[in-house]
Amino acid sequence: MKTIKDNRITRAAKNWKNRLSPLSALVAVCLALVPVAWAHHSQSEYDPRKKVEVEGTVSKVEWKSPHAWIHVDVANDKGEKVNWHFELPSPNTLMRRGWNRDSLKIGDRIKVTGSQARNFPDIAIATTIKDGQGKAFFTGVTEIYEPEPQSK
Amino acid sequence: MLSAVLLFVLATPAAGLSQWLKYPTPGIPRLASGAPNLKAPAPRTPDGKPDLSGMWFANVPSRDLCRTGDCIQEERMAREQINIGTKLPGGLPYTEWSREQMKTRRANGGREDPHTYCMPPNFPRAWTLPQYTRIVQTPGMMVVLHEFNEAYREVYLDGRPLPENPNPTWNGYSTGHWEGDTLVIETNGIRDDMWLDIQGSPVTESARITERLKRVNFGLMQIEITVNDPKAYTKPWSVTIEMAVQVDTQMLGEICIDNEQDVKLYKK
Repeated sequence: MKTIKDNRITRAAKNWKNRLSPLSALVAVCLALVPVAWAHHSQSEYDPRKKVEVEGTVSKVEWKSPHAWIHVDVANDKGEKVNWHFELPSPNTLMRRGWNRDSLKIGDRIKVTGSQARNFPDIAIATTIKDGQGKAFFTGVTEIYEPEPQSK
Repeated sequence: MLSAVLLFVLATPAAGLSQWLKYPTPGIPRLASGAPNLKAPAPRTPDGKPDLSGMWFANVPSRDLCRTGDCIQEERMAREQINIGTKLPGGLPYTEWSREQMKTRRANGGREDPHTYCMPPNFPRAWTLPQYTRIVQTPGMMVVLHEFNEAYREVYLDGRPLPENPNPTWNGYSTGHWEGDTLVIETNGIRDDMWLDIQGSPVTESARITERLKRVNFGLMQIEITVNDPKAYTKPWSVTIEMAVQVDTQMLGEICIDNEQDVKLYKK
């Protein structure tokens, strides 16, 4: 597992803070530390600072609302098999962006990045998914994205 | 004859698809290219009123988030989904009661959000959610369908008054009347424990909500939302959101409780 360094969240929080009232700013900063995007919930259960990147074999696909889940068998540093669980947008959102229920199947080799759950070491919200041929699957961005200010 | 019909069906591009995600919507204005003419005039019903019927989603563009050599497609999301007052200078005019509510909700990471627990997609919040809304307009009633939990809302257009002291519900009780080309929806009777956005902006049983729907053209609808809720806000406030029509696709029902797994992930 690798850790991905990314300062974007901090920048987003600063940009929001400059635009909002004090209370809103507090909330915005709180939420900026949270990967908010497509979910039916705040996603504060995930820590965007705990980046994960795993490569393994799909062991199970849950194609149900409100969120699809992909379970992946991964070998840890000791060579032991660890089952990772990655949350995705709803199947409906995924279907509108090119997925279908057979896009990933048990046994497929994939590489997944994401943000780890705060209270569960083997659960994460997916940010990117690529198959063995490098084909990327839509996951929906899972971080607040604020464009850099236009240069004058 | 039967063989000819079967041959036609099988030869039709959409035939054999299990769903209609890209099936052409009939009867809509199109350009010579076949693309929907989003700038065409708003359609009207036989009685001359603007027809708001159709599928709608927040009018926000898709964009890509790129790291070095690696791009992620961002999901479309209304900013109002996080903070419904995001465009209001100074933010929402919370009462002290509301501020206390939001302190707790923020401290808990939003885990008490009714939406997290798969409760119904209450309006006006539902306009901002990442699911589609479908309006079915008839002379006496507008029905609003929402993909989340396959929910519905009724807006009576028959001139009846709002109920007095109604039993509170998730969507309350709504009536609508036309002011020119704008449909004005008045709502009361919502529950006392509602959220308007992910950050937890409250709305309560004391609220009177007004939504002013104006279809600017075929592709765009503006909704001015006014919340008058003396328990939650020191004064009435209004925000305007934009909805983009969705064509050549279909509604996809989504029952949240089917596989809800996030509640257990929140820190207790």
